[in-house]
Amino acid sequence: MKTFDFLFGDDAAMWWAPVAAGLGIAVQCALLSVLTVLKRLSFVGQGVSHAAFGGVGLAVVLGFGAVDSLEGGQGAVGAAGYLLIVGGFCVTTAMLIAWLSDRRGVSADTAIGILLVAAMALGALLLHLHRLHAPPGVRTPNVEEVLFGSLTVVGWADAAAAWGCAAAVGLVLWGTRRGLLFWAFDESAAEAAGVPTRRVRLVLMTLLALVIVVSMRLAGVVLATALLVLPGAAALRLSHRLARVMMLSVVVSVLGVAMGLVASFEWNLPPGPCIVTVLAGLFLVTMGAGRGGK
Amino acid sequence: MPAILIDNLSFAYPGGEPVLQGVSLAVEQGEMLAIVGPNGGGKTTLLRIILGLLGGYSGRVEVCGLPPREAQRRGLVGYVAQRQSAELAFPISARQAVAMGAWRMLSAWRREPREVHTLAAECLERVGATAFADEPVGRLSGGQLQRVVIARALASRPKILALDEPLTGVDAPGQKQFARLIRTLHRDLGLTILMVSHDLRAVATGVGGGGTGAGCDRVACLRRTLHFHAAPHGITPQVLAEVFQHDLADMFDLPDVHVHAHSAEECRRDGNGAKSEK
Repeated sequence: MKTFDFLFGDDAAMWWAPVAAGLGIAVQCALLSVLTVLKRLSFVGQGVSHAAFGGVGLAVVLGFGAVDSLEGGQGAVGAAGYLLIVGGFCVTTAMLIAWLSDRRGVSADTAIGILLVAAMALGALLLHLHRLHAPPGVRTPNVEEVLFGSLTVVGWADAAAAWGCAAAVGLVLWGTRRGLLFWAFDESAAEAAGVPTRRVRLVLMTLLALVIVVSMRLAGVVLATALLVLPGAAALRLSHRLARVMMLSVVVSVLGVAMGLVASFEWNLPPGPCIVTVLAGLFLVTMGAGRGGK
Repeated sequence: MPAILIDNLSFAYPGGEPVLQGVSLAVEQGEMLAIVGPNGGGKTTLLRIILGLLGGYSGRVEVCGLPPREAQRRGLVGYVAQRQSAELAFPISARQAVAMGAWRMLSAWRREPREVHTLAAECLERVGATAFADEPVGRLSGGQLQRVVIARALASRPKILALDEPLTGVDAPGQKQFARLIRTLHRDLGLTILMVSHDLRAVATGVGGGGTGAGCDRVACLRRTLHFHAAPHGITPQVLAEVFQHDLADMFDLPDVHVHAHSAEECRRDGNGAKSEK
């Protein structure tokens, strides 16, 4: 199998980084996925991930994220700068969505629709300008790899970010669970009971934005949201106990990422579409297994 | 000290017409008060102000002697929202939903203390929901879910229970069961109870204890201003016409509401602490 050649051959070291990053991304997305599905935030996630395209354009123009070689990765400083800029862009977009949809007369999907297209247009313009004026030897990221992800741009810095993010998401979810779960189950009752619902919503939106930023290098802008939706949607079909649903979400996500990466290695396909196709297939399998809930 | 004191309350949403104007009323501790009125009359707005969810009003509002936000922070008011607000696809049991009401007792980092489990069990027993405590919330019937929501509101050990349109979508047998439950909670726990409803019959009848309604002590009829605030038996056709702005003659075919030939003004004079702009 080509997968074994990649992972245990002469250049093995460079391919383990995407695998490690992929598994970290699987865990971090799975932890948020259940809440994303239950609170119907998938379109918000779509808006944030597409808005990240604008963040990528900004990062590239500022000198972060441009790829110097095909050996993958860009060093810790480059990766940190890229994540900070794109992350800041995504978090700002998430907050703008929350702020705009809090105002009367602007619905959440309108806010998302506006910000999504504006950010994508900005990103496309900035990447085009960088391509025209980039210094010699500096390659502008291929639009396809930004949209659908790439194994070759993911390095150990990305893997560290993915696992760090997974740990942070887990800690934050555990630490805020008393108000977070009440808000997620019954928002108006939670607000009346004194849960700081605006703060809770902001925390969740920020986590969402960070997870998308970390995921998109491997999965791509267009498909990063799928990692936030499919595992939770599949797990909710299998159980009606929250703890079990969370564990199943992680299992489905890890399985989807692992099998998707194998497909990517075997047939030299972009990893994002492979992962999402596997996850969609797993979801279809769970469609036949109801959990007996209404 | 009254449980709720409202003095000359006025409120308008930004850029809108006044929703409440010069409303004054006092709800005594242990009283059951129904707030009735037409859609858009200010009932839910008044409730949200009492719950500490809305600011920017003029006048004075005190809940157990505290500003509404402080009372909310201390969990003094248990709130039963309209049933539809809960996400029934959430993978939790009735017991876990009730435990959420005691969210303040939970530590940020430690597991749930045993006291929360005990409290949830007590609240479920009080509303007669022990039999389905471990059922997923998505499998509960409308009546069962309503009991769970009430149990959750009780889990914060409130002094006041506020119910917003509790009978929406509830069939007649369910309404009877609900009325019986509310009367039992009122009697056993000595709670102050506020019920917001557009259905006067369901919340006001049964004053004598044998009727089919919840049997409130007093009724406040609200349409921007307070048109009536006294015992239900004092409601007249004129008051209802003022509040609902059309003829409600058929409302007087109520078994326990005795209609007197008083004018609305006479009823307001007879009522306890009733004030009105008229």
